[in-house]
Amino acid sequence: MLVNLDPHDARPLYLQIMDEVRRALVVGTLRPEDPLPSVRELSSELVVNPRTVSQAYRELEREGVVYVRRGQGTFVAPGAHPDDQERRALARGVAKRALLEARRNGVGVEELVTIIREVATEEEGEPSGSASAANQGDTE
Amino acid sequence: MSRLIHSDPEAGACAVATHGLCKRYGGETALEGVDLWVPDGAVYVLIGPNGAGKSTTLKVLMNLERPDAGTAEVFGLDTVRRGPEVRAQVGYVPEHHDHGYRWMTCGRLLRHVAAYYPAWDPAYADHLSRAFDLRLDRRVGALSKGEARRLHLVLALAHRPPLLLLDEPTDGLDPVARNRTLALLAEHLADSPTTVLVSTHQIYEMESLADHIGVLREGRLVAQMPRDELKRTVRRYRIEVPEGWEAPPELRSAGPRRPGAGREFQWTLVGEEREVTDRLTLSGARVREVTTLGLEDAALAFLPEEVSR
Amino acid sequence: MIETALHPTPRPRDVLREQLRAVGLALRVPAAATVALVGLVTLLLTAELLREGGRVDFHPEHQMLPSVVGLLLPIAVWRGEARFGAGFLWTLPVERRRHALARVFAGWAWLMAAIALFVLWLLAFTLLSGGSLLAEETLRLLPSYSVRAPGPIDPAAVRSVPWTPQPLLWLVPFTAATGTYLLASALALGSRYPLRWIIGTVLGVFLVGAIGDAADVKWLAFGPSNPLESLLNGPYGLDTLFTARTESLKIDVTLSTGESVVVWRGLPDLGQWAAATLLWIGAGVLALLAAASRHREGRPA
Repeated sequence: MLVNLDPHDARPLYLQIMDEVRRALVVGTLRPEDPLPSVRELSSELVVNPRTVSQAYRELEREGVVYVRRGQGTFVAPGAHPDDQERRALARGVAKRALLEARRNGVGVEELVTIIREVATEEEGEPSGSASAANQGDTE
Repeated sequence: MSRLIHSDPEAGACAVATHGLCKRYGGETALEGVDLWVPDGAVYVLIGPNGAGKSTTLKVLMNLERPDAGTAEVFGLDTVRRGPEVRAQVGYVPEHHDHGYRWMTCGRLLRHVAAYYPAWDPAYADHLSRAFDLRLDRRVGALSKGEARRLHLVLALAHRPPLLLLDEPTDGLDPVARNRTLALLAEHLADSPTTVLVSTHQIYEMESLADHIGVLREGRLVAQMPRDELKRTVRRYRIEVPEGWEAPPELRSAGPRRPGAGREFQWTLVGEEREVTDRLTLSGARVREVTTLGLEDAALAFLPEEVSR
Repeated sequence: MIETALHPTPRPRDVLREQLRAVGLALRVPAAATVALVGLVTLLLTAELLREGGRVDFHPEHQMLPSVVGLLLPIAVWRGEARFGAGFLWTLPVERRRHALARVFAGWAWLMAAIALFVLWLLAFTLLSGGSLLAEETLRLLPSYSVRAPGPIDPAAVRSVPWTPQPLLWLVPFTAATGTYLLASALALGSRYPLRWIIGTVLGVFLVGAIGDAADVKWLAFGPSNPLESLLNGPYGLDTLFTARTESLKIDVTLSTGESVVVWRGLPDLGQWAAATLLWIGAGVLALLAAASRHREGRPA
């Protein structure tokens, strides 16, 4: 599971980690019953305070996305529906951020929707699209 | 910029707490009325230009320097009256390494220091020595700056102290070693509940590890808050203003205005984004863009222009 | 952490043991140099004895070396350690004053071991050369000796007296070294720049003496009435500590017959030695404790 943290992202680190887990679920890198990296491993890899990782995992557990197996670590919940719940939550996150950006740049909601379709159509014509689509199958 | 920007001390225990700490060296003021609060289990980064008093703060906590006024406590223990007990809870990496053990080999020094800390874990010390690439048969006097730093890191971590006081822990290390050091530190934190107080110039390194920051300037603590709060409340606004615009007085700035194109300028302001944006809009300005700042930029905003770059 | 127990501080005996080891390691190089030197002296002395067929009597109290070693040892013991400020020693979880005293004690222990070896070395020479340990000696006494009349001495003025060696005086090297070590350690611990104090004192003494000479003030000028003289060579002076006064009492003179002999201005007094030793060691201990108090924690600046 590759996790990238962006220092310029306005969200607290633990939220970024949570979103990355959800993203992995949507994309299919993580499936139900898959183990998550241990708090130790992930905090070492990301050079993040282990308490932040713990917090992310706890919140995910509270939401039912993951569960803890005593002495074995954290695993993706068997009931997690990556395609429905997570995809929706992820898409809502993207939408919220887009709307915030739009507001800052003086772009109205309807204008935004129209232009998104415009840009998407343009990019389909290009050989290697930019990573602006929410549904990128490539994880590298 | 002398107004103090503090968040309230978090309810619950503070691993480190100083009250009105003052320290002067001759005519120079190293610390002036410093109220530092490091919550239990936090990774607190102390930032500031050279001579701001960062090293002095750590030395006062270790009772290597006695404060001229004010008190300091570590886990509730007064640092002056119960110095040895405080130091038994601390792993300290000093800024400068100079001691009279030049003829000792690293291995011998490790065994020497181990005798002073009943909580020392020899197996962990071995693991750390290997992880840090420490050659145990080298004499301490023959170590390079980076190797000496790594040696001190092993000495500090091996007894799993509840508090780590790190003064420039990655100074002198090459980029690979720096990364490895921080990753090892994260692992260490995962294994043992530890409070960390780091003083460093390499602010960007602590970007993801830090969860609290404090900014020292000329001996005063000008800002102290959790990392998330800093991220949320210190942002850079790109503002477009009409002729003769005057900034509303309630705005708390964290740095000077930076001129941009035409009537636009950039300004780092403190406060919840919604409030700040409202105030600006009410005063007649237009907020074009709001950027979240990385740790370094946010912290540097509290420091004057001349020393921030 | 509030939930977990606080980490304990180390036991005093562990601290002492570690300081003994650390100081021992620190003294390896000076010790090696000394051994080399002693080896050289052994060779030279042996050669001379074989050539001239002389013998060495056992008089450890005549040696100035132990005092000198005690005086210089703190330099090696405290080498490289920042005694004031943020020295590595002070970052360890031991009370600063006690830690300093532990190190001083460790140095003293090694000093005594070295002195013991030195005395054994002297003993070896004595036994191998057929010298005497406790046999009665004959000393030439010349109480009327004066520095101002250095001309050849009339043999008739020299009396021969019998003298039994006092085994108690064999302790002199140990007590002498202890005394100088304590005083030097006090200086090392008590002042940031001991060298300045030493140079300053020496210069000051010379300056005062020169002024006294120039102004012809008897008690300031160099000479027997100078208080410095009694401090160094008086009955309870430093020389009594160093060598039970044998150093200042014993002189090489030339008789009018041309013979060069060793005469004594007076005989070593055991009572004086014991008193002087107690005095100087007592002063050393007090000075050391005062100096160590400068490092005491738990007291606001």
